[in-house]
Amino acid sequence: MTIKTSYHILRVGLAITFIWIGILILKSPESWGGYLQPWAVSLLPISITQALISTAIFDIIIGILFLIDYLPWFAGLMASLHLIIVLTVSGITDITVRDIGLLAAALVITIESLPKSFVDKIIKGRHYKTIIN
Amino acid sequence: MTSQALLFTLCCLGISETVYLIKKRFLLQKPVCPIGENCLAVLESKYSRIFIIPNDLLGLLFYIACSLITAFLVIGIGPLPLWDSIIKVLIILGSLLSIFFTYLQWYVIKAWCFWCLMSASTIWLMAAIILVSNLY
Repeated sequence: MTIKTSYHILRVGLAITFIWIGILILKSPESWGGYLQPWAVSLLPISITQALISTAIFDIIIGILFLIDYLPWFAGLMASLHLIIVLTVSGITDITVRDIGLLAAALVITIESLPKSFVDKIIKGRHYKTIIN
Repeated sequence: MTSQALLFTLCCLGISETVYLIKKRFLLQKPVCPIGENCLAVLESKYSRIFIIPNDLLGLLFYIACSLITAFLVIGIGPLPLWDSIIKVLIILGSLLSIFFTYLQWYVIKAWCFWCLMSASTIWLMAAIILVSNLY
């Protein structure tokens, strides 16, 4: 089994997770509000329900991008940032480890699917620095 | 809820499979065939379209419709009894069509296509989930 195959398995698995979580939040946004820390709630400029509905739509969009393999590096980056925010605003709970796993998976997708031109630029930059030194 | 989660998971698998095949067709690239070596014989046969619609596109529309209906059922967007009936009819029709396509591969084209078999298995699993969830 190649790395490419394992990447696609991870991508589709993460897509299903993100879309399904989005659907579950849309089903009852109020009940998901309990995961937010009080200090995070006080910072919200909109109601918890509105914030969670927006989060659900964001999750679904990320999931769809993963599923159809369109801009996976961008979806992975957005998913990683989103999960960092989730970890920050929900505090340390019983399900924190699951979010850490999801964050690691999203980072893998981002790194593995970075555009070749961007990777080449980084490699060239490193090569240039080595020559200068 | 469990059956709907499983149905949704299978729909997503189906979407990723069909999107892969559509992409390969548009890019004029040969899809990877992990099992068997004659995927193209099936994918480029005269049976790869129903009238003018390519089967991969038809499959994608089927999976998108099923996933949307499952999402409506979970979230509670009505009319729920109608969605419930539509998804059952869709999956039964899809299963029958998959049996026909598998027969074509076996006896008419005499070649196996990994992605077509994957899609058929996905739809049959969806039918099994509908059947079992209605029994219990």
